[in-house]
Amino acid sequence: MNTDASASVAMPRAGEAARQRKQLFLRYSTLVVLVLLFIGFSLGVDRFLTTSNLLNILQQISMLTIVAIGLTFGFAAREMDLSVGFMAGLAGLIAPTLLVAGWPLPAALAAGLGAGLAVGLVNALLVTIVGVPSLIATLAMGSILFGVNFLLSGGRAIYGGLPDSYLVLGQGRLFGVPVLAFIMFGAVLLAWFVMERTIVGRYIYAVGGNLKAAELSGIRGRRYRQLALVICSLFAATAGILLSARLGSGQPNAGQDYLLDGLATVFIGMTMFRPGTATIAGTFFGALFIGVINNGLNLIGLDTYIQSIVKGVIIIVAVAIVSRTTKLKLL
Amino acid sequence: MAIELTDIIMDYPGTRALDRVSVAFRTDEVHGLIGENGAGKTTLVSILGGSRLPSEGRMTLDGEKVSLASPGEALARGIAHVSQEGSLVPSLTGAENILLGGEPRYPGGIVRRGALRDQARALLARWFPDLTIDLDQPVETLPYADQKIIEIVRALRGRIRILILDEPTATLPAREKERLWAIIRRLPAQGVGVVLISHFLSEIIALSDRITVLRDGRLIRTFPAAGATEGQLTSLMLQRGHGPSDGGAQDRRSEALGPPVVEVSDWNIPEARVSSFHIRAGEIVGLIGLTGSGHFAFARSLYDAPDLQGGTLRLGEETVPRIAAHEMRRRGVAFVPDHRMIHSLIGEWSARENLAMVHPEAGAYRAFGILSPRRESTEARAVMGRLSVKASSTEQVVGELSGGNKQKISIGKWLYGAKGRYRLMIFVEPTEGVDIGAKREIHDLLRGLAAEGTAILVASSDLIEIADLSTRVVSFVNGQALGDLAWPNFSEQSFIAAMSGARA
Repeated sequence: MNTDASASVAMPRAGEAARQRKQLFLRYSTLVVLVLLFIGFSLGVDRFLTTSNLLNILQQISMLTIVAIGLTFGFAAREMDLSVGFMAGLAGLIAPTLLVAGWPLPAALAAGLGAGLAVGLVNALLVTIVGVPSLIATLAMGSILFGVNFLLSGGRAIYGGLPDSYLVLGQGRLFGVPVLAFIMFGAVLLAWFVMERTIVGRYIYAVGGNLKAAELSGIRGRRYRQLALVICSLFAATAGILLSARLGSGQPNAGQDYLLDGLATVFIGMTMFRPGTATIAGTFFGALFIGVINNGLNLIGLDTYIQSIVKGVIIIVAVAIVSRTTKLKLL
Repeated sequence: MAIELTDIIMDYPGTRALDRVSVAFRTDEVHGLIGENGAGKTTLVSILGGSRLPSEGRMTLDGEKVSLASPGEALARGIAHVSQEGSLVPSLTGAENILLGGEPRYPGGIVRRGALRDQARALLARWFPDLTIDLDQPVETLPYADQKIIEIVRALRGRIRILILDEPTATLPAREKERLWAIIRRLPAQGVGVVLISHFLSEIIALSDRITVLRDGRLIRTFPAAGATEGQLTSLMLQRGHGPSDGGAQDRRSEALGPPVVEVSDWNIPEARVSSFHIRAGEIVGLIGLTGSGHFAFARSLYDAPDLQGGTLRLGEETVPRIAAHEMRRRGVAFVPDHRMIHSLIGEWSARENLAMVHPEAGAYRAFGILSPRRESTEARAVMGRLSVKASSTEQVVGELSGGNKQKISIGKWLYGAKGRYRLMIFVEPTEGVDIGAKREIHDLLRGLAAEGTAILVASSDLIEIADLSTRVVSFVNGQALGDLAWPNFSEQSFIAAMSGARA
């Protein structure tokens, strides 16, 4: 039986075609803007369109992308994690501290990721068992982690004595391409596969799309909301470890920017592909969008303060587009 | 004086909520408005109250043609609407609520508290001089009847001639209802006509001067309330006028049935209590009842019962320890709920993705639950073919489909990848908002499933549907399951009698 026989084509109603055109426009307009930005910077800024600068952009967005992927899992299940910035900071302190204390690399990495797992589990417990809305639970968790980070480090950076095998994660190159870029692409592909090609990913989207319908279909809603929050924390921890390897030190206040930048990334991504839904592909291009703008403005010589203003405007525009054209369901 | 509605039509996407309804509401009467859920009561009063403009039709106020484009305009014309949910601010006092938005102020905008209290008291005294309600307490601390009265006084603030009361006693404990009834009865004498919506038929009969019955968006009758009986009203609300069909070649004799598939005893959920209930293999059991009588809640509780207070459920030989959706799905129980867009489907998802929600493994490689888009499409296409779903492709977004096709997807979720048959399938309102053709197809599907030996439970407010499908019917009244009606003794009259409490 072929498609045409089993599913006859309904006659499009008046306005249907116009609506579909609008959908199509919406789906790709952000990508078009990204391409235009890219062309604009290439023509207008001398050092923009060079191999080294483009690789530089990839390196700059790699950790942000990883945090934002974690947030994307949360958004897909309709849970917010506002503790990702400080979570990254925590993992980026734990791993270097243990390495300096002489722990072997795998153990130190595992400890950093284990912190992410633990925090994710606590978040999930608070949200799904205790019933604290994720927005509040993770905001509070962020505050707690901020304090923990300064207690652990005594407010000082941890550096010196970090093994090369650790530093290469953040600073090394393979065939001239930053190792960070490989890790980022690996994370993007893995996350895309899980979300788009596995039952687990489908269930996470289902729980975020209509929790009641998912549960009445026999999906254990609570379990997948928990999973999304744990994954979110794990990706934040990964980004934090990579950041400390990139900086060559553990900083108590590192990673803080990842919360706002990560949210901006996801919001931009939500304007693409499946408007109103956070997708991995959307998030990746969202990160690229932010990376290109930051890089371009940097090369022009604009202050970071200006960049902050631009970022704020972008978030507002992206969310405005999404919420005016779809049923945006953030919480 | 009266407001007259003539040939009102209201179209929503895919359904006609009101079909040429003509009715007049007078200022010297309490006018009861009744009908089952979905009959069009709420749509009619929201047109009257200015919240919606009708698709077609005329409205005249004392002979003058009017068009009410907003609740504000309706208020200016003397029509006020007190909705079911309540619109008081719980933490404000009665006086503050009564004058909300119209507080007396000093120049500069500061509220004159003394004057506010005096004016609120004066308003209350003007309408109900013998009532004592403490207007200085936060309304949340007052009895529910007093809260409702405060809402009514607020609605009467302007020059109101028609007051719409939507289920005013729904949230009231029994002993407080009479206080409100007395209030409602007095209003016509003071020049305010009342349009009263209520599910309590005794209340409608006791309070109304005239009664209008709506069914399926049509006006059935308007008549004086004097002498009306609950049985008569129930019959008008439900009767669809033509008898049940023979149900095709379906064998409905009890000898054709298999052993019991599901057995329930001493079932106790907040909405219903059932001492004993069973369904046999191949049997289609229909549940009927008025809105709120517990039959829908009972049907659902056999699949998902988070608030089960007691009772046992045996599925075949086995007693199920915990009634939760994921457990019951695993044990071969399917559940197709009512309100499909809320309980069953994800509107932004494609037909394929929605279909794959229950058994995604059917479209996946066995290892690691990795989905195969190709297998999913094949499987989805097979289900859509079996149910003759009309869609542009398996990728069409479900929110864009018609009601009948949405319902088919909601049912199809349980057919997608179902290897064997289900032991028990539960349907609530299986053809809610579905066109005639799709309805017949869905009925045939249900009969086919039963013929394969599945036990089927159908809870529906469509009595013809119940009569067409069922081998046995159980009626619910006020949360109690009354005795069975066995095929072929089905008629609307026997159903209606059973639903209004007469023993079958």
